[in-house]
Amino acid sequence: MRTITITPKKAFRISVEAENISPDKFASLNIEQIKSLTVWQGNRKIMLSDLFTVEGDDAPAKAEETTIRLAGDFFQVKRIGEGMTAGVVEVQGSIGMHAGNNMLGGLLSIAGNADDWLAREMRGGKVVVMGNAGNYVGGGYRGEKCGMRGGEIEVKGSAGAYLGEHLCGGSIRIGGDAGDFAGAANQGGTIFIGGSTYLPGAEMSKGTITVKGEAKVLPSFLKTEIVEVDGQAFQKYAGDLVDSGKGELLVGMGSS
Amino acid sequence: MIIKGGIVYDPANGIYGDEMDLFIDQGRMAMQAKGEEIDARGLLVMPGGVDAHSHIAGKKVNTGRIMRPDDARLGTEPRTAVCRPSTGYTVPNCYAMGYRYARMGYTTAFEAATPILEARHTHEELEEIPIIDKGALTLFGNNWQVMECVRDKDLTKLAAYVAWGLRAARGYGVKIVNPGGGEAWGFGGNVKSQNDIVPNFDVTPAEIIVGLAKANEMLNLPHSIHLHFNNLGKPGNYTTAIETLDLLKDIKPSRMRQVVHVAHMQFSAYGGTSWRDFESKASVIADYFNCHNHATMDMGQLLFGSATTMTADAPLEYGNARLTHNKWSNHDIELEESSGVVPMTYFRKMLVNAVQWAIGLELALLVKDPWKVLMTTDHPNGSPFVNYPEVITLLMSKPKRDAEMATLHEQVPKRTTLAGIERELDWTDIAIMTRAAPARVLGLDDKGHLGPGADGDVSIYNLRPLEVDTSLDHVLVKKALANAKYTIKGGVVVSKEGQILATPPGRTFWVDAAVPQVDTDRLMIDLEEKFAKYYSIQIANYAVQDAYLPHAKVIRAGLLIEPLPEVA
Repeated sequence: MRTITITPKKAFRISVEAENISPDKFASLNIEQIKSLTVWQGNRKIMLSDLFTVEGDDAPAKAEETTIRLAGDFFQVKRIGEGMTAGVVEVQGSIGMHAGNNMLGGLLSIAGNADDWLAREMRGGKVVVMGNAGNYVGGGYRGEKCGMRGGEIEVKGSAGAYLGEHLCGGSIRIGGDAGDFAGAANQGGTIFIGGSTYLPGAEMSKGTITVKGEAKVLPSFLKTEIVEVDGQAFQKYAGDLVDSGKGELLVGMGSS
Repeated sequence: MIIKGGIVYDPANGIYGDEMDLFIDQGRMAMQAKGEEIDARGLLVMPGGVDAHSHIAGKKVNTGRIMRPDDARLGTEPRTAVCRPSTGYTVPNCYAMGYRYARMGYTTAFEAATPILEARHTHEELEEIPIIDKGALTLFGNNWQVMECVRDKDLTKLAAYVAWGLRAARGYGVKIVNPGGGEAWGFGGNVKSQNDIVPNFDVTPAEIIVGLAKANEMLNLPHSIHLHFNNLGKPGNYTTAIETLDLLKDIKPSRMRQVVHVAHMQFSAYGGTSWRDFESKASVIADYFNCHNHATMDMGQLLFGSATTMTADAPLEYGNARLTHNKWSNHDIELEESSGVVPMTYFRKMLVNAVQWAIGLELALLVKDPWKVLMTTDHPNGSPFVNYPEVITLLMSKPKRDAEMATLHEQVPKRTTLAGIERELDWTDIAIMTRAAPARVLGLDDKGHLGPGADGDVSIYNLRPLEVDTSLDHVLVKKALANAKYTIKGGVVVSKEGQILATPPGRTFWVDAAVPQVDTDRLMIDLEEKFAKYYSIQIANYAVQDAYLPHAKVIRAGLLIEPLPEVA
């Protein structure tokens, strides 16, 4: 396994776009070539090594045998792991917006927090966040009909608003609370929220949303039956009736 | 400028692949000239491309942009020393429209539908489209004043209104979209045939079409009426197409051109009674065009992938929105029109889409005279215009068509005749369908040919027409057509091998038609009442001011102009 460690040289005041930090982009390159990959800071096009130190095994390796370790604070660095198909990106701190967007495979693991649009339009692979995630986790970016289509996202902490908006597949698991409108326009994905949320599943036409804690449910959902999952009772709803109403919403009835 | 040694296709002047030198002097084709020499030895040389039907500017294009940020991201190109940034694929920004047409060797494109009320917006965008010359057709088919004149059988007042409307919109010609249907849509309805009565107006679409065609010829307009049929996009609509065309066959054209141009014929050549038994009737339509000389068409070719449908046919877009569950914009334009926008994706394995794809090609291949068929995709309804090279290579290569057919829904050969069509177009046919014919159909005397005095618009491609086998080497042909070796606009090299070198502003053509003052006076009584009662703006603020067209090219027409010699 080839391991490459990237560390910011200083704290960034202007955010950085670094879609080149990805196992696929690194696979065929040696360290010197990786250092000269393009990143953008604001409207300036610069080299990776202008902002970051790059260390690790020099010999190129396949993407699936590559681990990229991001040491330090990457909260101002966007688009890391964009479109990655294999390998591992291990973030020791927090990560910026659009991390893992359009990801097809591999593992993106984040020890800290993730900013908005985490794993938007993801197709496959796995994303794990030990802290909290921002808005639009697994969502579809502006104008897209489909957000996440496959793969798995797990956030141990809480998530922001519009969790999994336009979800077309895959599964999202949030340990804590989710912000407003979780699972809006869900078209076939699965969402589990360990805590509470507000108005989940608006405009959903398919898929399942499970809220273990409390949720304010839209009036366009139809109460159906009470089901038991893992020893807890859930009120089941069908909705959203403003669309086809074939989605499933389960809301916890208080832990016994 | 001298273009040396090219293999020139200029069908309007009877030149079909002759090796010759071309001269451009002061922006126009000339018998001789000095200056820059361009080496085109052995290469394909044609006049600059002319697109007679494309949606490139105005409110519905902008609505498409607003509702499709996803599309904007598909075509981003950064600013360069010469170019401003580009965005978009099916609905590019204004700059990208100019650059992308120029790269393909096109130098002229006409916006196909603008209501008078929204013409100012159209011209603001047209002015921002660099390089190419352009114009905008003006919508008349659902206009209250038009319908009232037709109902009252007052042809001179109708002609006065058409002239006034073109002047107010700084428009180029008469566009008619689903006549009567757009008005009925204001009340949630539509017209089902050309003989339905339009609610509240006591006229039929047939009467509107014939009335406008007569007014068009009375005014000696350079372009004929430009017609989007009733029932467009519906199974079985080919009968509407043929019956409507038959209404116009006895009208005498005032110029050497057609009496009616049919927009995006592909969408009106459908058989069957529902989407279930949907089939191509392209062969019937093609037979009609082969037997009649009063009509021309553009293909409206559909290609697979992303498109954005946008039309003044609002009820059609309602249907699209219900069918696809996609985003939908619906718009009412006061006393003039309605319109709609819906994003769309066409799929190879979806039978309806695959048959639609085949119909466009069938039409172009079955109509014998290439002067009657213009190559378009009804950008961005069938596909964005950047895919023209794909359409051209499909027309030129039977092996390419067969290879494509093999990837489609297996029913396509049963529902269309495409598999049995052997015809492969040659460079003369292509030069006609993309240059000479659109210019003639629009009535642009200085476009689409390379005779002395014509605009110095020339495209040179990295292809050796005497050597390349267009049937087998279609990959090479498509690549060469996508980025012209040189695109010359008004004697200036604007694009070289895909690189934009210069961005001169293009001109905007509009038609100023003269009518007797007495008819205008009668008209103004009606119009002043309408503006006082119904319009949201004052009549004084209605017309587009010349300040919006700093590069206007006015073409004179009208009753006071001597008619041209009779058509033989």
